[in-house]
Amino acid sequence: MTIQQVVFAVLAVAVIGAALFVVTTGNLFRGALMLILVFFGMAGFYVLLDNGLFAVAQVMIYIGAISILIIFAVMLTRGMQAMIPRNAQATGAAVAAAALFVAIFLAFGPLRLTVDFSAVPVLSALFRTETARTLGDVPWQYANQPVPETYIADFGRALVNINQYLLPFLLIAFLVDAVLAGAVHLARQRKPAELIAERREIAEEEAEEAAALRGAASPEPLPQGAMAATTTQDH
Amino acid sequence: MQNVINGIPLWWYLFVAAALFCIGLYGVLARKNAIAMLMGVELMLNSVNLNLLAFWRYLAPGSQAGLAFAAFIFVVAAAETAVGLALIISAYRSLRSVDPEKLDQLKF
Repeated sequence: MTIQQVVFAVLAVAVIGAALFVVTTGNLFRGALMLILVFFGMAGFYVLLDNGLFAVAQVMIYIGAISILIIFAVMLTRGMQAMIPRNAQATGAAVAAAALFVAIFLAFGPLRLTVDFSAVPVLSALFRTETARTLGDVPWQYANQPVPETYIADFGRALVNINQYLLPFLLIAFLVDAVLAGAVHLARQRKPAELIAERREIAEEEAEEAAALRGAASPEPLPQGAMAATTTQDH
Repeated sequence: MQNVINGIPLWWYLFVAAALFCIGLYGVLARKNAIAMLMGVELMLNSVNLNLLAFWRYLAPGSQAGLAFAAFIFVVAAAETAVGLALIISAYRSLRSVDPEKLDQLKF
């Protein structure tokens, strides 16, 4: 085993283990911390794929921004941290996820890439395996070449090239703009209603206190005018 | 073998990505907390990115298509998290809960 294979195995075990912890734990905060471990493992995979740019971007965007956002949300929704980890359809969800994994594995996994399906009766009807591998009907083959040293510069030029990715680049910039404005709007939308509700609660509490001071003559909460009257009596 | 880079065949990456995607799918379907469901979505998006970059490295390292798709997924994931968490916090303010089963009103 080469050192890269050992690193890959360690990363794979860490990522899959941490991901399983994330989706099964009852403590949401620990789940968020384990999610950071998953993101770090993905950055390690990108390094193994000779893609330093995306490894750094992964650390900056996922760990630096998205994990922090998630941890903020976990902290802001206190009382929800310790929770019931599963809902009623958890068993069905586990079966569905396992079935999907098996399906992916059969379609595109090592079986598809190494075993000749044409010898197996049912699978030969489902999957066409030739010596030239296909994804759908598109043939593909290994490039077997190193990453060009200028791949970052090439990528940057492709993003601003009108014949390549300029339009999606602009659209995604517009999406980020709209999302930032929308997120701010959503997060502060409830504030006036909340303030009104808080004031109403405070007023009701004052009215109850005033009623308690007067004795148990009127058990139901007092109307607004009566509350104002009691406050003037106090002075 | 020509399909091995750094001693690792392509299907190792595909295996990890498929496992991560299915774990994320389970998380989205089986969780009782909206933030935990969002974490499952993040796992799925990460697995897709790993798939894209693995195919980029093994099949077309000279082209920018895989990089561009992966970069756009990064941005979409960040945007989705921002909006999702804003929605969750907004709902939490009104309902004092992040259980998606309690979010059954169109207006509150």
